[in-house]
Amino acid sequence: MSTPQKEMFNPIRINPETCIKCNLCDWICPGDLIYKEEDNRETLPVIKYPDECWYCGLCQSICPTNAITVVFPEQMVHNKTDVASLLGKVIE
Amino acid sequence: MTDDFVRLDTDVLVVGGGVAGSMAAIPALEAGLKVVICEKGKILDHCGSIGCGVDHYLTIMESGPEWDTPEFLLKHVPELTDGIVDMAVAGRVIREMPRIFRKIEAMGVDFRDRQTGDYYRLRSFGLPGTYHINFDGTDFKKHLGERVRKGKATVLMRTMVVQLLVKDNRAYGAIAFNFRSGEWTVIRAKSVVLAAGDVNRISQNASGLAFDSWHIPYNTGDAQAMGYHAGAALANMESVEATLTPKGFSCQGLNALVSLGAYFVNKAGERFMFKYDKKGENARRAVIADGVINEYLLGNGPIYLDCRHLPQDMLDRMEHTLQVDRYTLPAYYQQKGVNFREELVEVSVSELSIRRSGVYFRGSGLAVDTNGETAVEGLFAAGDCATVSGGISGAAVLGHIAGEGVVQRIRASTGALPEVERGTLDEVRARAVAHLQQKDGLPWKAYEETTRQTVSDYVGVRRNEQGLRLALDTLAALAKREPTLKADDLHGLMRVHEAKNIRLNAEIMATASLARQETRTGSSHFRMDYPKTDDLNWRKFVIVERGANGPVTRTLSTDQPLSAAFSRGNAAVAA
Repeated sequence: MSTPQKEMFNPIRINPETCIKCNLCDWICPGDLIYKEEDNRETLPVIKYPDECWYCGLCQSICPTNAITVVFPEQMVHNKTDVASLLGKVIE
Repeated sequence: MTDDFVRLDTDVLVVGGGVAGSMAAIPALEAGLKVVICEKGKILDHCGSIGCGVDHYLTIMESGPEWDTPEFLLKHVPELTDGIVDMAVAGRVIREMPRIFRKIEAMGVDFRDRQTGDYYRLRSFGLPGTYHINFDGTDFKKHLGERVRKGKATVLMRTMVVQLLVKDNRAYGAIAFNFRSGEWTVIRAKSVVLAAGDVNRISQNASGLAFDSWHIPYNTGDAQAMGYHAGAALANMESVEATLTPKGFSCQGLNALVSLGAYFVNKAGERFMFKYDKKGENARRAVIADGVINEYLLGNGPIYLDCRHLPQDMLDRMEHTLQVDRYTLPAYYQQKGVNFREELVEVSVSELSIRRSGVYFRGSGLAVDTNGETAVEGLFAAGDCATVSGGISGAAVLGHIAGEGVVQRIRASTGALPEVERGTLDEVRARAVAHLQQKDGLPWKAYEETTRQTVSDYVGVRRNEQGLRLALDTLAALAKREPTLKADDLHGLMRVHEAKNIRLNAEIMATASLARQETRTGSSHFRMDYPKTDDLNWRKFVIVERGANGPVTRTLSTDQPLSAAFSRGNAAVAA
């Protein structure tokens, strides 16, 4: 049932040109989503569990070079859910 | 995974590095005790439950007028909590508020408005005074974290505590694993403080995304679950909490919005909240969430947030404050193409969480006495996992009380810590290894989805006996499948443990909901088969404990403190 990672929506966009591979985003993410090799100025961070993102923006706020942008998926930005469907089923 | 356990002996083990956990560590460190903090995330310098900064802090300041005194607020607490509250503990928390507020200021937190140099205090959520200081608390937690680091606490990050160690009803440590390194640690401690927050990821929301939640989705009732297994009593678990958010993003901000004057309108443009409460949008959170729920059920949706009438300076303040609490909210509105200053914003009811049922001072979780100690000796609880909850300041104050309680408990304790049985350690790790070795096991995401759907359908804002029994059957069947849960890696193993804790909390909530045969605080516990509030029979706590075959309940009049139900007696060490 697990969706292959490359098909999952990834909200954490890292600009490879401005990322300085410092590791702060890995350090701060409360959800353990971002994995960055320590002490390696060549490799970019990997968003290993993109569907577990809380959209808190801590990664974006701490990035020293503004290399991270948090992007919201359609289902959050233009949500079509009927709220009444969240309010319980009644069994008689 | 490592082959053997790292062994740590300490004085105090704190589970959770959020506001409550940090504030519990501080008095212990000040008393010269050794403290180990296990933190599942990386939180020490940012607020746990809400990730970014704080935008408001509820406190008595004793500034002069009668309303700004503990006794005045305490008088209103029974009404604020619809009669279900531990007045002994709430009383202690409220009386300590001014002292703890000053202490946090002394740590370097500046609560004053940058422009005026004064405290900007607001009234919200039905409180009888302007107790909420609205401020830029981006650095709030950094100061608390700094004090903890300066005190030389040992902080284990990315470390999840999975089981408490208890002998003869005395807690003496815990077993934890680091899900980056795979290292297992067994910590022996003279006292344990559980401060791992509330329960999230338990029901559906508008976006359909499990990790899009009001409070931090990585708080998964770990303290409640472990405390339950250790023999502690829980209370108020039938009370559930929802908030109102922009539809599609379960984010913070409601307090700021209503206290700064926002309205809610339905599809007819009617400002309906006064139909539900004479305070309108300034009613308690549970009541305004309820109002919106009812409007949706009546077919009056969509419901909108309306800020268009507000003056520019208020809107500026609102815009700034909303980013403090959730950094990405302005970006969300921008992507959505909506300007909340000029347009209506459709709102939804958020997913549910188990914390404090939308009112202040009544918390859902581990029952504690006036020292913050649970029914298990040496096991303390504070913050959103305990039975007095009050946002950031509630966590700070009860956390500090628990820290002081720990110091008293340790000073009164003699004897050596028990040896940890090798069998216990091997068993815990063998279970974990089994999850990692499951080839075609049950994915934890699917298991959680079933839990969430069950809660949304039958244990959510509308409940009845048939639905609750069906929910309990479903949750019991899920429990049987737990050994087949599959973890792809160590991170997955951590999520598997979370998923189990979420399910257990849902089961406890359904059990408590079935027991309380009345409705109280609107949709925080709404029984369609018992739609009235029944003070004659139900001015009681519903206490849940681990029985031989699962959760069992009993009741206690709210005229008594919850500690009266503890079998260790109220032999609390003097405060």
